[in-house]
Amino acid sequence: MYRPSTGLLFVLPALIVLAMLIAYPVAYTGLLSVTDGQGNFVGMSNFAKVLSARATPQAFWNTVYWVVGSIVFQVILGTATAVLLNQTFAGRAIVRSITLIPWVVPGIVAATTWAWMFHTEFGIINYMLTGPGIIDQPIGWLTNRDTVMPVLIAINVWKLFPFVAIMVLAGLQSIPNDLYEAARVDGANFWEEVRYVMLPQVRPVIVAVTLLLVIWGLNSITIIYAITRGGPANRTLITPIQIFRIAFENVQFNQAAALSVMFFAVAIAIVFVYIKALASQPREAR
Amino acid sequence: MTKSLLILATTASALAFSSVVSLAGEVTWWTPNFNEPRARELVEKFQAANPDITVNLEITTSDGLPQRVLTALQSGAAPDIIDVQHGWVNGYAQNGLVIPLDDVLQDREDYIPAALDYVTWDGKLWGIPYRIETHAVIYNRGHFTEVGLDPDSPPETWAELVDVATKLTKEGRSGFAITGGGEVGNTIFRSLPFIWMNGSSMISDDMTKATVNEPAAVEAVTFYTDFFRKGLSPASTLENDGTANRRLFIAETVSMYQSGQFDIASIREENPDIDIGVMRIPHPEGKDTAAILGGWSFVVPSDAQNPDEAKIFLQFLAEAESQGTLTDTFPARKSAMELPRFNDPILQVFKEMLPYGRPVPAEKNWVQISQAYFNGIQSILLGDMEPQEAMDVAAEEIQALLDE
Repeated sequence: MYRPSTGLLFVLPALIVLAMLIAYPVAYTGLLSVTDGQGNFVGMSNFAKVLSARATPQAFWNTVYWVVGSIVFQVILGTATAVLLNQTFAGRAIVRSITLIPWVVPGIVAATTWAWMFHTEFGIINYMLTGPGIIDQPIGWLTNRDTVMPVLIAINVWKLFPFVAIMVLAGLQSIPNDLYEAARVDGANFWEEVRYVMLPQVRPVIVAVTLLLVIWGLNSITIIYAITRGGPANRTLITPIQIFRIAFENVQFNQAAALSVMFFAVAIAIVFVYIKALASQPREAR
Repeated sequence: MTKSLLILATTASALAFSSVVSLAGEVTWWTPNFNEPRARELVEKFQAANPDITVNLEITTSDGLPQRVLTALQSGAAPDIIDVQHGWVNGYAQNGLVIPLDDVLQDREDYIPAALDYVTWDGKLWGIPYRIETHAVIYNRGHFTEVGLDPDSPPETWAELVDVATKLTKEGRSGFAITGGGEVGNTIFRSLPFIWMNGSSMISDDMTKATVNEPAAVEAVTFYTDFFRKGLSPASTLENDGTANRRLFIAETVSMYQSGQFDIASIREENPDIDIGVMRIPHPEGKDTAAILGGWSFVVPSDAQNPDEAKIFLQFLAEAESQGTLTDTFPARKSAMELPRFNDPILQVFKEMLPYGRPVPAEKNWVQISQAYFNGIQSILLGDMEPQEAMDVAAEEIQALLDE
């Protein structure tokens, strides 16, 4: 009877800090979402208001587009880079370090730089394309409705694929040599090694990294906000930016809280389904 | 032990000094960084005449200032005087964050009326305006001559503006640059005056009805967005704000654009070859021009420590001569306009525009209303919607905000 309470005493400081920094804001957001500016209970009216806004469904689908688009390319490109960097070649250490650069550059710096590079008038990308005559007219990368989201996704992929590469590379390096040798004895070529040795072995890493990418994708504000602020005409407005806008530009904290609560529920559901469906399926991957 | 106590005491006193705790006879004044040298000059002058009152000058930055001021006003630890933009004052007044200043104002008839209207709510005056400005159209006189236009008779009506812009637009050069990107305010400042000139508005005067889809408003929006749709505004319009347009003008790829007199200095500095002309914003045939009146006012927070001393200092700051010294653009008092500083011929047209300046509506959801309108403008520029449809959508959204 004595020991557990001592244990509790030791855990208590950490618990209090966690409660203050995580549980309290979450609970307070819940409270904000059902009250008005004066703190009166208003039921679901904040939810109704935020759901009736034109921007909300648009932001939701933009978020799906943004997250799925980013993750597919981040994982594919990241894994391919990891496989490449796992080979032995001259200058490998240097290439490995260089690959990390996008991941190390602060998000806001990268975003602002890319915004300038993609600028219709002053951007180096249009300059390089129009110079040798590849295109006649400068392209409005960030203002054309069909290019703006793909461009932002490309920037996000550039920013985060090195992280995937490093994580997968770490996984690849823990594969025992015996497996490769056994595969070679059976006559496997390089692609078969990738398919039957490497990928199954790093599967848990990819699953975990993808989960992280989903969470980061759902949370990300920096790149889009710094480049387009959700424009033009809400074409790149994703839900986190909409929440930011409602809270800090319109100063409607209660509606922002309502949207956050709904977004939180959706995010939890996605993560839950993902873990159920993918992470725990193959026993040997544990 | 003694040592740590000493450190504690020093830290505590340092904290006490750095927070906005004014002692009796002290006035803390927050002014933005662009005012700093002139504000110091005024403080010195005031101190010399009023040795009993100490003025503590604190410099703010205009970036993120609305949030910072709002935080200070709500925290209960506010300074005694703050410089804010006219448009913010009404919100503070409606929430009881500032005190009325009718007893400070002198020579009411000497002020530009629109400036006082801006900071009046519920029949009381909540701020003392000291700086006012409007846009005009800045143009490159050299470009006019090049295409055979007379730079001394710039376009006056909408039809003439379109005509001139069409002539000026050629190989890599745009006649008239509009904005369609950046902060929402950029496009509001440049397009709303056209709606006003045409006899319409975004919301009705009693703030109950969205009027942005009325024929006159849609006509003005069409006029504005057509500069881009007809290729007279740069390809990058959707990502351009006022600063980007100035940069394009400096690079001589834009011949005309709307802006305030604050752009003149940087154009002269960065490209002295440009012969700058300024014209009034063109208006529809037979109607008056219009512009949004911008600028700055002083407010005294409800939580100010020494409002009485603050008011004495404010009276000094509100004098015509002080306003003439402090303002970066124009003073809010007509008599101060006579000072030699404002006699530069290039300022003449900006001065002529002032009487046409109007305040933006003091509606509590103005930020969202302007966002809804701006989304409509962007949809038109993107080619997603025709002006009527885009403004119908915006009006629906604005109406919902007005009905709240």
